[in-house]
Amino acid sequence: MQVKSKSVVVTGATSGIGFSVCELLLKNRFRVIGVGRSKENCEAARERLIEKYPEGEIVFFYGDMVHQQEVFRVASEIRDYLRKSSGDELHALINNAGCVRSWYMTSNEGYEHQFALNHLAGFILTHELLPCLIRAKGRILFTSSASHKMMRMRWKDLMFEKGYNPLLAYKQSKLCNMLFAYSLNEMYRDKGIAAYGVDPGLVNTSIGNKETGFIVNLVWSIRRRFGVSPDEPAKTYLMLCTVETPPNELYFKFLKPARYSSQVNKENADRLFAISEQLCNIRYER
Amino acid sequence: MYVLITGAAGGLGRAFANECAQRGYDLILTDINESGLKAIKYGLERKYGISVRARACDLTSDASVAELMKYIRKEKIQPDMLLNVAGMDNEGGFIERNITSVLDIVKLNLEATLRITHSVLKERNSTSRFYIVFVSSLASMYPMPLKATYAASKRFLLDFAYALREELKSRNVSVLTLCPGGLATTREAICGITSQGFLGDATTNPIEKVVHNTISLALAGKAIYIPGLLNRSLSTLGKLFPKKLITRLLYIRWSHAQKQWLDMKA
Repeated sequence: MQVKSKSVVVTGATSGIGFSVCELLLKNRFRVIGVGRSKENCEAARERLIEKYPEGEIVFFYGDMVHQQEVFRVASEIRDYLRKSSGDELHALINNAGCVRSWYMTSNEGYEHQFALNHLAGFILTHELLPCLIRAKGRILFTSSASHKMMRMRWKDLMFEKGYNPLLAYKQSKLCNMLFAYSLNEMYRDKGIAAYGVDPGLVNTSIGNKETGFIVNLVWSIRRRFGVSPDEPAKTYLMLCTVETPPNELYFKFLKPARYSSQVNKENADRLFAISEQLCNIRYER
Repeated sequence: MYVLITGAAGGLGRAFANECAQRGYDLILTDINESGLKAIKYGLERKYGISVRARACDLTSDASVAELMKYIRKEKIQPDMLLNVAGMDNEGGFIERNITSVLDIVKLNLEATLRITHSVLKERNSTSRFYIVFVSSLASMYPMPLKATYAASKRFLLDFAYALREELKSRNVSVLTLCPGGLATTREAICGITSQGFLGDATTNPIEKVVHNTISLALAGKAIYIPGLLNRSLSTLGKLFPKKLITRLLYIRWSHAQKQWLDMKA
């Protein structure tokens, strides 16, 4: 008898960490639902994956998740697909899509890109897929980073409108990932949901070379050479998806729980949660 | 303060709208892109807990602008500030381009800007001070091969704004022209900036600061704002050297950048 495979959604799945995670998930017989920005990237990624795992179940949805309309559209496409393919159950959501920007840029809603994509996109997608996740007692993973440390939320200027700093905006967005994971555990642990932040370490991906200027490009091109292959952090994602009893820790690096910033606390988490609900015009069931 | 922003769904327009909302101004936004207009309207309303008016309009159409003005009258809105942000650019040599796309630049950057400015000035409350901002460009400082129509359209706006400023000085109207270098507004704009290498970074102005300073300077009654020390120096240099030489140098620079840009697109 064939074992029913479990579905996992991976955003930012066409390259870097997301792509490696997809590979590993397919290898372990998960049904993979990838999300990427453009149709071309998604098709190319799908072809590469199918070539390696011809038996694998892999489907892609595309959309520029920096804009909220696009996130809602992609989410509803995924829900349709889950209904047809997986009994409306989602085993894991991996909120991995992220960007770096050299300059202050805004989404269609006028929200700063790194905040909008690295945090708000995951905030909406999680909300839209939560019923499916609850049914499967699923897991929610975030690609956070050690750069969330040594950073405080800039509550008075969340979108860096007083003067943009690419690195600080990135650090804050990764702190947001930790705070959101914290909130999800607080709210839905008793429903069987477990949320984690993953520190992938320094990874050799092209994140700093996409839509950035000369300086950020140059700095990242040098820095990424010291990074590990994205296959390394992918193992941590797989472990968190497969481990029988979900661990109680919040933050993982190289398969092990790691220390996170003291800024990741209930006060900050609640505050960010309320602001995010307001900015996305959605309300999580309490 | 009631502010009317054209091109409000674009990168620069959104930043202006955000800046005005932060200053507590009332907003009426317009753009030809209706869904984009809705997105920025809701975005601002959620972020600031305010109410924003938005109305789609094709500024190149007399009828559409008349509709917009009718709406403004009906809602009893009296703008105190007009931010003329709507505009467009097309890359490429004149004869390589489709003539329609060249003429579209003239239609939007010039005709449409004049049409809405005229309409709004006719409607304004003449007892209080009125502010107009034109978005020109650093490109207005010199003739620009390969961006010939665009640069000339921006030159038109700059000269026009100076003249209008003088005409309306006694009527309590203040006119400011913004002449920015590169602005990271869209994915295409980023391509344009990166294709120029380090100089792209150096001439790119941070949007959040540009919009903040533009409003401050407009309120202070200034005539022109060229953001960034390097851009100000470049514009001064443009005045010191003969036009023929500058044009030649720019041609070399843009042919190079454009090749990079086309490679990047491919």
